[in-house]
Amino acid sequence: MPPKRTKAPATKTEETEGRHVDALQPTRALARSIYEQLDAGEIPRMRLPLRTKQNIAFQMREGVWRLGRALGTRSARKLDGALMLLRTFYLVDFINEMARDNKTSTLRELYYISEGWEESKFHSEDESNLLIEDLEVLCERLREDFRLHPEENGASVIGDLTIRERNRKGIVKKINCRDDVGDGGYALPFNVESEKISIDSTSAKFVIAIECGGMVDRLAENGFDEKNDALLVHLKGQPARSTRRFIKRLNTELKLPVVVFTDGDPWSFRIFASVAFGAIKTAHISQYLATPSAEFLGVTASDIENYDLPSDKLSEQDVRALEAELTDPRFQTADWRAEIELMLKNGRKAEQQSLAKYGLNYVTDTYLPEKLGEMGVL
Amino acid sequence: MPARSLAQQLAAKQREISVAEFFERNRQILGFDNPLRALLTTVKEAVDNALDACEEAQVLPEIRVEVAKEGADRVRVLVEDNGPGILRREIPNVFARLLYGSRFHANRQSRGQQGIGISAAVLYAGLTTARPARITSKVEEEEAAHVVDLLIDTQKNLPRVVTEDLVLWDRPHGTRVELLLKAKYQRGRQSPFEYLKGTAIVNPHARIVLTEPDGTRVTYERVSTEVPPVPKEVAPHPYGLELGELGSRLKAARYATLLETLLKDLAGVSPRAGREVLQAAGLTGKETPGDLHGEPLERLLTALHTVPLVPPSADCLSPIGPLLIKRGLRNVLGEVRPDFYAPPVSRPPKVRGGFPFLIEVGLVYGGGLPADQPIQLLRFANRVPLLFQQGACAITAGVEQMDWRRYGLDQRGGSGLPVGPALLLVHLASTKVPFTSEAKEAIAADPEIEKELTLALQAAARHLRTHLSRRSRRDQAGEKFAIIQRILPKLAEKTAHLVDRPVPDLTPVITRIMDIVYLDLTAPEGPAPAFRAEITNYTPRPRVLETFLEMPAALLGSATFDPAPDGTDAELGRAWWTLAKLAPNTRATIVVTFPTKTEIEASDLSFYVAGVDEAHLLGAEPLPGDWDIRLPRAVIEAAAEAGEPLPGTDDTEVDYDAAEANEGARDED
Repeated sequence: MPPKRTKAPATKTEETEGRHVDALQPTRALARSIYEQLDAGEIPRMRLPLRTKQNIAFQMREGVWRLGRALGTRSARKLDGALMLLRTFYLVDFINEMARDNKTSTLRELYYISEGWEESKFHSEDESNLLIEDLEVLCERLREDFRLHPEENGASVIGDLTIRERNRKGIVKKINCRDDVGDGGYALPFNVESEKISIDSTSAKFVIAIECGGMVDRLAENGFDEKNDALLVHLKGQPARSTRRFIKRLNTELKLPVVVFTDGDPWSFRIFASVAFGAIKTAHISQYLATPSAEFLGVTASDIENYDLPSDKLSEQDVRALEAELTDPRFQTADWRAEIELMLKNGRKAEQQSLAKYGLNYVTDTYLPEKLGEMGVL
Repeated sequence: MPARSLAQQLAAKQREISVAEFFERNRQILGFDNPLRALLTTVKEAVDNALDACEEAQVLPEIRVEVAKEGADRVRVLVEDNGPGILRREIPNVFARLLYGSRFHANRQSRGQQGIGISAAVLYAGLTTARPARITSKVEEEEAAHVVDLLIDTQKNLPRVVTEDLVLWDRPHGTRVELLLKAKYQRGRQSPFEYLKGTAIVNPHARIVLTEPDGTRVTYERVSTEVPPVPKEVAPHPYGLELGELGSRLKAARYATLLETLLKDLAGVSPRAGREVLQAAGLTGKETPGDLHGEPLERLLTALHTVPLVPPSADCLSPIGPLLIKRGLRNVLGEVRPDFYAPPVSRPPKVRGGFPFLIEVGLVYGGGLPADQPIQLLRFANRVPLLFQQGACAITAGVEQMDWRRYGLDQRGGSGLPVGPALLLVHLASTKVPFTSEAKEAIAADPEIEKELTLALQAAARHLRTHLSRRSRRDQAGEKFAIIQRILPKLAEKTAHLVDRPVPDLTPVITRIMDIVYLDLTAPEGPAPAFRAEITNYTPRPRVLETFLEMPAALLGSATFDPAPDGTDAELGRAWWTLAKLAPNTRATIVVTFPTKTEIEASDLSFYVAGVDEAHLLGAEPLPGDWDIRLPRAVIEAAAEAGEPLPGTDDTEVDYDAAEANEGARDED
């Protein structure tokens, strides 16, 4: 048995990073700013950092991509802007009400709450999520500070990892993510902060974050985690904030290297980017979610060739996505450009489960050991 | 036996072909080549005659059309009018003799011209069902109506009366035609239904009731009580004369000398021009007109065509007129609820050859008209809808040649029928319509007509363009109104509540967002037409506005105004006000009321406002430069007064909501 890794002592900054008890004060400051503009006879407006790929910048200190300095204006001069301003204050009002009543709300509930906001109501959950992110940026708070949270998303962890979770009744339970859970693994709650989960110990030597549930099951059934001292984390497609946050905690607190194992297509590259570099849409909290040292394992464009994997032709959308990635600052490294260009050149994409072409054990016995060996993880 | 010469043999075979016989063999020329078309032609000829008869007698037409199925392929058609009726002795010739009519020789605008139409229908009915046509007609002077059953003797082109009777008819005068013919009824583009609809549009003084075979009754009510004046008959103009006609006119001349005949029997020949013509033709003018033939006659015609003459008079034309075109369109298109009726265009008469003509155009846009299809083109000649051969018609060509994209309609490549929710009406009125064939379905190409048509279409299209550009400005303003009326007050209320302060006065913000003077014209419901113009100063500075109202001059005298205008001009139909100084976000109101039943609508009133530049004015036009108005000092001073400078839209700022890239949208979390 390798020695168990134990968590490094928590620093003060980690404990309180991005966490504020009074989230209401900045929302009211926002209201005051608009009120004062109206009172002064000015057309009310707000300035917000643009969350576009043109406006993300690499932060050397944190090693992640964060929002740049470019600002956009949301002004009541235009109908859309006016409507978004009004919506913002319906939202602020709602947040303040929840605080008074000591309630929380899911993002989906908020979407339905907005039914009562007349023409300011949200037309899709995307709209409400975007506005909440705007508020996070403006107030420098997290949505949890606004008492808003996503639904449980059920991304799971399998492997020898011991954590302590404070459950709904306030009781702290010690859970081993291999021995104390069922076949589905340990389901991550939406809140993975230290007040909810503390990370105890692990025998694992690395984390493998996997795009598809089918592949997680394959690795678990083949005993990959035990044989190779790995923690399996299911990303469930584009990973939720809590999944990314938990991976980052495993990386920083247990010093575990992280590899990302996805399909070989343009969208999977973006999954990796959001884990390693930070997503554009949440660039304002990248330092809190991104794991800069995470590495891309595959399936790479060259894997498709080298392992002669069953593949599909890239669709028009795929090609557009790859071309967009070539102008995405996060992918401007020689390796990534080469990878994207190779995929464009070959015009093929493959799923991770296409490895089953060589039998059910091929991925665990041959592919992963080879790739992890190349990466120096195994 | 000596063989007969070839010439003799041929001569034996030659015999006269009766006109009726000729048409029997050439049905398509008259529009009877298939059962659908035969029915349409029959209805059309009967209704055209009915309308002409009513017009001549100056009666408001009441026309009843009934179509009933009889057996598998036969249809019974009844067309009844309230015209003057036809004398008993004339009935057989009018209905059962081709080329017999009162209008052929008259040089004036009329629907029917050649006197073929209705007899052809009677002929067709007889040929296909062997049943006589039944004509019922009563003239005012007689107590009873004559009922005559008629067939045509196709050999002799003579009517044959089958039976006749006298009946009592409960109306003072009128005519009814009943025919049984092989035909088929169907609604559609070239159907009696469409034909009557078109007829109703250009004859708003007629009441037309159609009963279809399934019992459906379609009624087009009368929307005008003015019977169009009977077009005057005028002497023929030499420019339109051909040799044969000139010869026969001279033979029938009532005057003793050629000169006198030229001056009195032809239009446009002044005494001086008459002498010039005679001189050019080498004639003295003292000749007996009937004696002229051969080469001298030809020289006379050439001279008449070369010596400058007074152009033909256009008195003989009867345009529909802008007002009635609009009313007719509104009557028939009411259900479609178009957004816009362009002011119809009625061009002044022009001359083509020896015949005067004029073009009228009506244009309707929006509402329920289909936006993704070619526009509907309704063609009319002398108030008769043209339903066939759209592609071969000079009207269609004129419409297709125009570049409608410049006027706001889609048109692939800038030619062809434009696409859009529009309906176009084109009416050609003339003493002689140049049809491409006897079937009178399409107008032949003619450079003079083409020129007038283009001018008329352009005028109508310009109205459309103005309408569309106003609408788009209004849409933009609509967005601003939504901001200031619905969003801003709530935003103020929400933020005031959050910071626990009183709701601020929004006037400065509102005027900064709007920055326009807006004139809103509404027409409240009520028996007397009343219009309410609200002029709101949504600019950040006070304004003194000079407001002009222009209306049809005839109505100005009957209008009452509140407040009283500072001046009026009865001749130009204008009234004007110098409104008291309007502070930002305040308004003034002008109410204009007309007597009950005045025919007027909002589009007949035009407002012009001075004291604010065009870019900041909506709902009214800036004062036209050529009006040459001296504005009151207060208006000029207020306009010159430096207002609070507006914070210009900082174009360097990025609109956050427009910039929100979709790029990150898949990075969900």
